[in-house]
Parts: sequence; C-alpha cells; structure tokens
Amino acid sequence: MNPDSRIERLGAAAVEAARALAELWMVYVSTVSGIVRGFTRRRGGRGRPKGEILRQLYAIGNKSLIFIVVTLGFIGMVMTYEACLQLSRVTGDYSQIGSQYIRLIVTDFGPTLTALMLATRVGAGIAAEIGSMKVTEQIDALRMSGVLPIDYLIVPRFLASVVMTLMLSTLGGAVMYTAGGLTAQYSFGVNPNLFFDLSLLEFHHFGIMVVKAIAYGAAIPVVAGFCGLRARGSSEGVGWATTAAVIGSSFAVIMLDFIISATALFLWGGDL
Amino acid sequence: MSAYIEFKDVKKSFSGKPVLRGMSLAIDKGEVMFIIGTSGVGKSVTIKHLIGLLQIDEGEIWFDGTRVDTLPERSMAPLRKRIGMVFQSSTLFDSMTLAENVALPLRKHGGMRHHAAIEEAKQRLAQVYMAEYADRYPAELSDGMRKRAAIARTLALKPDVVLFDEPTTGLDPVSARRVDRLIRELAKTLGMTAVVVSHDPPSIFGIADRVAFIYKGIVHVVATPAELRASSDEVVQQFINGKSSGPMETPGF
Repeated sequence: MNPDSRIERLGAAAVEAARALAELWMVYVSTVSGIVRGFTRRRGGRGRPKGEILRQLYAIGNKSLIFIVVTLGFIGMVMTYEACLQLSRVTGDYSQIGSQYIRLIVTDFGPTLTALMLATRVGAGIAAEIGSMKVTEQIDALRMSGVLPIDYLIVPRFLASVVMTLMLSTLGGAVMYTAGGLTAQYSFGVNPNLFFDLSLLEFHHFGIMVVKAIAYGAAIPVVAGFCGLRARGSSEGVGWATTAAVIGSSFAVIMLDFIISATALFLWGGDL
Repeated sequence: MSAYIEFKDVKKSFSGKPVLRGMSLAIDKGEVMFIIGTSGVGKSVTIKHLIGLLQIDEGEIWFDGTRVDTLPERSMAPLRKRIGMVFQSSTLFDSMTLAENVALPLRKHGGMRHHAAIEEAKQRLAQVYMAEYADRYPAELSDGMRKRAAIARTLALKPDVVLFDEPTTGLDPVSARRVDRLIRELAKTLGMTAVVVSHDPPSIFGIADRVAFIYKGIVHVVATPAELRASSDEVVQQFINGKSSGPMETPGF
C-alpha cells in the first residue's frame, strides 16, 4: 500500500473518531437539556410519552434484578473463596477479610460490576431498540411528528438508568457481601461476626459508591443511545449498533471507574 | 412567478459517492408531482432534503418563498407542520394504537390535550376509511391498512404539502390502487401539493400531474405522463417499459 494512502486512512479514521466523540458529547448535552426542558415544558410539549419513565424503571431495574443478583452472588462467592484460600496458604488469619471486602464492595465492586452487567443487558437492549427505529425511519417519523428523539427515547432511559443503577448497585453489593460471608463461613469456618464487620466503612465510601453508580447509570444509556442513533442500513446496522453499545458502555464504565477512583485517591489518600 | 417548491442545483454525496450532482426541479402549488428513477438514484434523498431530514452539500432549496436548506434543526418544527411525509415503511409506532399514532403530531406540534387529540385522530382515520381500526395496534393490520393509517397521521396537521416515499411499494395491486386513489382524492379535496417518489408505472400514469425522471444525479426529464409515454428518449422508454437491456446505466447491474 502507498504510504500516502496509509497516512490518509489514518487521518480519516482520526477525524471520524473525533467526530463520533463530538456527537457523543452532543447526545449527552442534549439529554441533560432534555431533562431540564422536562421540568419547564408546557402540556403536550415535545418530550417523552406519559408513563415512559416508569416503564423504563421496570425494564432496566426489575427485569435486571435476577441477572444482577445471580451474577454478583456468584462473583462474591468466587472472590471470597479465592481470598480465603490465599490467606489460608500464607497467614491463616481471616480477621480482616470481611471488613476489607465490604470496603472494596462499597467503593468499587458493587457499582462497577453491577454497571458492567447492566452495560451488557441494558446497553444492548437500548441500542437494538433505537437502532431498529433508526433503520426503519421511525426516528425520522418522530422528528416529523414534532418530537425530539433524544427527549422521547434517551431521557426516560437516562433517568431510569441512573435510579436503577444506584439501587441495583446497593442490592448487588449486599448480595456479594452476603454470598461472600456464607462462602467464608462454610468453606473456611470464618466466624460470621468477624466477617460481617462494618467498622472500616466511612461515610465517604458510600459517597464514592453513589457517585460511581450515578456516573455509570448516566453513561450506559447515553453511549447505547448514541450507538443506536448511528445505526445505518438494515439489520446489519442494528447488529453493529448493539455490539458497539456493549463495548462502548463497558469501556465507559471502566474509564469512569478509573477517573472516579483516582479522584477519590487524590482526595482521601491513605484513608481511602 | 417563482415555484412553490424549488430545488436549485442540489448536490449530495454519501461517503464520497455522489448521488445528486446538481439536481434542479420546480414544483407548483396544488400539483401531484411524481419523482421517478431507478433504485438508489436519490429520489428519497431529494424529498428528505426538503424537510431537513438530510442536509445538502451544495445548492439551494426553497419552499413558498423561504430558503429551507439553511434552517437549523430547532427552526424546522413550523416547516414540518406545513410539509408532512409518509415514509416508505409506514413507520407507525408499534407501542401505540392507530389513534395514538395519529394523535402524536397533534399533541406535539399542535399542543392539543390527549383526549381532544384522540378525537381529532379518529376523524383523520375516517378520512382514509380506517375509523373502525382506531383502537387497533399496527402489528394487527395489513401493510395497506398501515400505509393508510400513516397517511392519516401525516394529514393530522392538515399540511400544505405531503411527501410520499414509495407509497405503493410492497402492497398488493388492489391496495396499491386504493392508495393511489386516496392520494389523488386528498390532493383534490384538500388542495394539497403531493410529491410522490415512485417507480410503480400504474401509479405514475394513473394519478401524476407531472413526472420528474431522475437519472445520473440530475433531473433528466420533466413531463406530463402523456408526454413521458410519447417521449423519444431511449432512457425514458427503457425505464417506463421496464426493459432489462438498453442505454440506461444502472449501478450494480
């Protein structure tokens, strides 16, 4: 291949990536503006259908409940088992395992693993639904009907996702902790009173959890909705959008985890 | 006197591939104008430019004395109240009944309350002979019925212009002719301008006032159906007679 042509392709890819990031940012800004408009809108305005937030709370939250409980329960069991196994080989002292484990669950594993699970289930669903609407011209039909597609499709999912990611993170963390405690007790004879020790938890740990859950809950529908809106062509385009949504929203969760954890470390240092 | 709708030297490319290469077309008020041509020639692209669903690369588009191709998205709402569009795949929303589908633009564009909009929607459905199906969901209906309901939704705001994107594609011949008759009837009774994208000869020769034939990214011929039939242009003759061999260059064949 001609080196000039390679450079040209590289440049085109960089321009396309920058354009996509700008569009993603615009979707986020439009979503936030849509929420603000929702509070100030007259009756019959250009926003979401009646009861849509409740429907989305059910679709994102209730329908993910068993998935989150089962996956985080198993992850909690495996993690505790591995930690106890390593400890048994080194010191055999399990006194710190429960208190350290809950701190990790609250500040990181609870919200992050829940969000990664939601990124697959909810992110794929949102992208597939919006992508199908895009390729069948339903998004254009919404615009022609005087409806702003972002207000109609993404805002309700955004609000529902923020609320439900927070609730499911709390529930998922509790399930992980309980499953871990039971595993430690029945596999390694760790005293439950010793394991279920909350003495290391401080207020700012819960603050980090809330910030992460809200950030993840906001990122998943925005990234997935953006991918859905970029779907082109036919079923192949919807497939692309769905795959891109799962990859993109999972990546966003990991990146946000890094940013928020680094910020927390900067703020609280060794007390974290 | 300037035309009601005018495309001036419009150019549009997708991923570097030119589709429209300087297309110009003038449409008069109250006429039924058909835009015809082979698949992928840019017929649907042309009408989507008029309502801001696509942006042109170069050229100008005018509607009723106003340049519309430079309008930002937030200024499109008044234009979309005056120009409706019936999409190729009906695009009814599956989660809503027909009445709710038709009521949507009445509530959003027109600012009507829910119950009033539903009552108005039922009247619009009656105009397309679909009143008895107002409470049914799109999935329960045939393609022809969905198409008529989509027309009712577009008519809900009593637009001055309606754009029809291949309204008879995928319909059986009887349903297709009923849709044709409906377009003609609506143009006559409501005095609206209809721009119909089609490659269905019975529709073209049945209800068109004038026909614009797009070929190689420009308007190749504008003529009445009778003039088109009598045309000595070989490309036109190949298209209207549906011949596989001839001078016409068709991408992909």
